Amino acid sequence: MQTPTLSAKISRLLHKDSTLGPILLSPGFLFLAVMMAYPFFYAIYLSFTDKEVGGAANFTGFENYEKLFSTTLFAKTVVNSLVYTSIALVLKFSCGMALALLLNRPFIGQRFAKALMLLPWILPTAFSTMIWQWIFSPAFSVVNEVLVNKLHLISQPLPFLRDETWAMGSLIFINLWRGLPFFAITFLAAIQSVSNEIIEASRIDGASPWQSFWLIVFPAILPVVTIVMLISTIGTLGDFDLPFLLTRGGPNNATTMFALTTYNLSLGSGLIGLGSAVTMTMFPFLLVLIIASLINVRRQQQG
Amino acid sequence: MNASQIARKAIKQAPLYLALAAVLIFLLFPFYWGFITSLKTEAEIYDFTGNFLIPKAPTFNNYFLLFTTKNYFVWFWNTLFVSLVTTVISVIISVMAGFAIARLKFRGAALAGTLVFITYIAPKGFLFVPLAQILKEWGLLGSLSALYITYPTFLIPFCTWLLSGYFANVPHEPEECAMVDGASRIGAIVRITLPMAISGIITAGIFSFTASWNELVYSIALTSGEQNRMLTTGVMGAFAQGDFMVIGPLMAAATVSSVPIAILYFFFTDRFVSGLTAGATKG
Repeated sequence: MQTPTLSAKISRLLHKDSTLGPILLSPGFLFLAVMMAYPFFYAIYLSFTDKEVGGAANFTGFENYEKLFSTTLFAKTVVNSLVYTSIALVLKFSCGMALALLLNRPFIGQRFAKALMLLPWILPTAFSTMIWQWIFSPAFSVVNEVLVNKLHLISQPLPFLRDETWAMGSLIFINLWRGLPFFAITFLAAIQSVSNEIIEASRIDGASPWQSFWLIVFPAILPVVTIVMLISTIGTLGDFDLPFLLTRGGPNNATTMFALTTYNLSLGSGLIGLGSAVTMTMFPFLLVLIIASLINVRRQQQG
Repeated sequence: MNASQIARKAIKQAPLYLALAAVLIFLLFPFYWGFITSLKTEAEIYDFTGNFLIPKAPTFNNYFLLFTTKNYFVWFWNTLFVSLVTTVISVIISVMAGFAIARLKFRGAALAGTLVFITYIAPKGFLFVPLAQILKEWGLLGSLSALYITYPTFLIPFCTWLLSGYFANVPHEPEECAMVDGASRIGAIVRITLPMAISGIITAGIFSFTASWNELVYSIALTSGEQNRMLTTGVMGAFAQGDFMVIGPLMAAATVSSVPIAILYFFFTDRFVSGLTAGATKG
């Protein structure tokens, strides 16, 4: 009697936590091991080789890194990424918090307004960035048209994507536009989960609205704020879509960042080893952020 | 409330509504401007005289140009199929993994949860170069298979993370009762626990579909050839080569490609908002 014992064995394996857990986990685990862990280690390996498109990979030690650290392209990549990420994060945090507090007051059509507000975050970035490209177009920008010819506020059109500083500013602006809804709605959800009685009690004790926000509400929502900020920092630091679509890293590499420089070197110029080294230089930044996120999530799960 | 009370309340609330209106204009103007531009004639698009915020002679010509673009519907079906297939596969794998991490006691469960979180927050811009090399060795680089196999790399971590949160909040008793009544463990999970987590499963599905539909890096880096393009890369190739942009059809494409996501989203707004904290993938 082979079959019943076999099926009994299987049903026992599927019954116990200690065996069912690994069984259920294995498809996802195997997939991520092959498609994420393996490529990650493969990238480390590639970064130490002179691999080019169509060529063989020869081990060259730290040559790629030495080469990178001596180029202005790499210096610009690091500075641009850090400027873009830090300014965008400060803006998304402050504007997101202000908008959350605004939305926290009761008003007619709140649900509808919240739904509309989320559109920049939900709709395809590729296409919304094309619209921004059109809005910031050098010769036919609607913003310049309004500022120069309709309102007469300025005499010269603004060089949105042509000037180095303006191009970075435009990217940060669009990043704020896309991320603001997400920040505002998650902050709002956190604020609304804080007990009203505590806030009212603090008001009765004589705290101003400003005080009761910073002393009562903000500490209570800090865990959510921190995790949103950390995850968004990682996403912004590794952003490819916006710089690729809007400026291609230009003008004069003023807006190129980690992911775009990697793309341009490896897939544009075919220097796969060198491109992989760019990716790897992002890793120390990521590691710090990932560890901070992990500590934060752990604390949240325990608290 | 009498008339004067209502009036007083309205005046008191006026700054609030003004501020909200300003925010909404800031957030929504690009969509309006893209849509309006898509309805204009080629000449009118570049003509800012008079009231340029309303098309003077609305035309669907740009949509006609877009839909008659060679391969447009190939790109549309590619995008739809890749998004649907990768969503279904990823959600199934993630339901299993998320359930195990949230509810089963076994060695390595906590470690698995940590690893899933790390893969979830790792940026996508990080892996496309080695992935391209690996897919080349496997003979998959360039074809749509490259997307079928890589999209789950960002969908599974996200869905597993989201779903383990939902599963942790589903009570254990109904499943245990069903097993006392003679159901097998798997039977009890499928018939009792999964239906109780259906809202999380739907949320994971919607987010996955949206993320696939909006994906850009992998479709640029890992596919080649007109037949293998997605909507974004196809439309860009046809109407936005370098600095030269054919504005009319591009704005039509932006409008059309946003519609399926907007529809999906308006049906499930509440789920979107509730699942939002977990969905912070865009930065």
